[in-house]
Amino acid sequence: MPDMRDGNRAIVDVLEATAERPRVLYRYAGDRFILVEYGDMVLDLTTNFRIFGLNDALKKARLDGLVETVPALRSILIHYDSRKLPTRMLVDTLKKMEDAVPSGENLNIPSRRVELPIAFADRWTRADIERYVKYTRQDAPNIVNGHNIEYIAQYNGLESAREVVDYICATEWWNACIGFWPGLPFMFPLDPRYAIVTPKYNPTRPWTPEGAVGIGGPCVAIYPVQSPGGYQLFGRTIPIFDLKQRNPAFKANPILLKPADRIQWVPVTDEQLESIREQVYAGTYRYKIVAYEALNVKSYLGLLDGIRGEVLAFQARQAEAVKHVAIP
Amino acid sequence: MFEVLEGGIQTTVQDYPGRVGYLDLGTYPAGPMDHFAFRVANLLVGNAQGAPALEVTAGGLKARFHDRRAVAITGADMQPALNGKPAPLWEAFAVGPDDRLEFRTITGAGFRSCLAVSGAFDVPEYMGSRATFTVGGFGGFEGRGLKKGDRVSLGAAASPEKVVGRRLRAALRPQYGTQWEIEAMRGPQADPDYMTAGDMEFFFSHAWKVDRNSNRMGVRLESHKWQWARQSGGVAGGHPSNILDNGYAVWTVNVCGDQPIILVADGPSLGGFICNATLIYASTWKVGQLVPGRDTIRFKEVTIDEATRLAGAIDETIAERSIERG
Repeated sequence: MPDMRDGNRAIVDVLEATAERPRVLYRYAGDRFILVEYGDMVLDLTTNFRIFGLNDALKKARLDGLVETVPALRSILIHYDSRKLPTRMLVDTLKKMEDAVPSGENLNIPSRRVELPIAFADRWTRADIERYVKYTRQDAPNIVNGHNIEYIAQYNGLESAREVVDYICATEWWNACIGFWPGLPFMFPLDPRYAIVTPKYNPTRPWTPEGAVGIGGPCVAIYPVQSPGGYQLFGRTIPIFDLKQRNPAFKANPILLKPADRIQWVPVTDEQLESIREQVYAGTYRYKIVAYEALNVKSYLGLLDGIRGEVLAFQARQAEAVKHVAIP
Repeated sequence: MFEVLEGGIQTTVQDYPGRVGYLDLGTYPAGPMDHFAFRVANLLVGNAQGAPALEVTAGGLKARFHDRRAVAITGADMQPALNGKPAPLWEAFAVGPDDRLEFRTITGAGFRSCLAVSGAFDVPEYMGSRATFTVGGFGGFEGRGLKKGDRVSLGAAASPEKVVGRRLRAALRPQYGTQWEIEAMRGPQADPDYMTAGDMEFFFSHAWKVDRNSNRMGVRLESHKWQWARQSGGVAGGHPSNILDNGYAVWTVNVCGDQPIILVADGPSLGGFICNATLIYASTWKVGQLVPGRDTIRFKEVTIDEATRLAGAIDETIAERSIERG
């Protein structure tokens, strides 16, 4: 492995890989931020877990001059005051911390479990998809019988919309990071046997209802407000962002979800969803959040070992299905 | 109380440093686009540097005062007038009941003015700040730009006489032009791993034209055919500018496909495109004064040591010792 710093003025320092963890790159992002990047450009939840391990350790260390951190898929952006905490000192501290963070196997990541009701192929996302067909693209291959959910089934080799629902509800969804828009989660299935994927809209959709839930690539997102979007929609949930903070869940700020939350979907009908949404805004609904749980990485890795064959079988089924499906 | 007669192109209540501490929940800090002019305006009228004040974009604000206050206008020259007579820039002056203050439009260099009033604008705190976040529609005055008929409360203030005539020393007033040099550091994703050395050489030497379609979310520059060090973004997407989503530093240069965009006060906190350079604390204020569709930027590469020295210098300038009394 060549020294990454050779001729790379964007890199402050490198911590080479060990048996316990991937290589860590420390990149300049101006004089107020550094970007700490792990391993290669691959999507690997165990790397993301390690990032939360470091994030947790950093928060507990209460470094003078550390402003905030932004954990993401394979990186953590660190906002700091370089006059209180010189870059060199920050990077040296971070490098030492890597040795102190337990290896993946022994990590326990503070993680809330959040149950969210969802109406699949609901009438609200259906209405916006209908508008898309009318005004944006009539021959969109990702719209089958007026919705995206059957296309998601076809693209993944699943038998029906019903099986898509089963897959989405069969696993908890790990919120790897929040961003782009206030409160918007980027979620991945903790159980890779249910890791459905889809291409994105082309062109993008001018309207998406608030609370819509969709998938783009391997990532599931909830739209915090009504907005344009590019993900294939499969349902609608309750508010995850409320400017007016009308429910106790939004007491501290208008954003419900946090990085490292685990989301469990619970199917409801359109009518039930409508009723729960009214209770949310009336302040009477209690969001189902278990705050004290942790994700034990060791037992998680144990689960992965046990299901490897099933994961490969589903991936083969997906690869075969894609050959027969049009891309938007 | 501050009565808005015309809101102008875009006038927002901001504070400094804005809504800091919510990047991991997807919220950029908002706050002034030109923190130098903003902080100096507050300093001149005796407020804390970060106190809520107005950012006036491109002009058109008309307002009426209802009590005696000291005010200061800094930043771009929009030929401000008090009751029809020219009002000074970078200098505190007094206003009284029924006085009308008008901003016309930008004619020369610079794009944003700041208006500070003694006692400061009194709007509710939202997520720890009073800055308007235009994307989310929260903070500031009802989460939006000011418009005709708005009546914005002001905080209690000492007698204006205490500060009237305070002005920033002439030698310290920034000279705006149309061709800017803006200091930036290479990275986080530059050469040789994402772009070629030639790409970065072009980036740091070209006079980039500021696109008409620029605002408090992003300042767009012209598109360019980059050589790229990679053929594709791999798992993150087909284009070599694609990466697995990561947090975006505030004031970074985000390369979306061919187009560089400086992510500014109300930008996106996270995304899947590389950022090949990042502005430094001491240079970000210049972005607030860029006139879209006209001005050009050359980025000047600096090291962390130079950036730290410049950061100290700008903060030392925004201080009592830089003020004289006319």
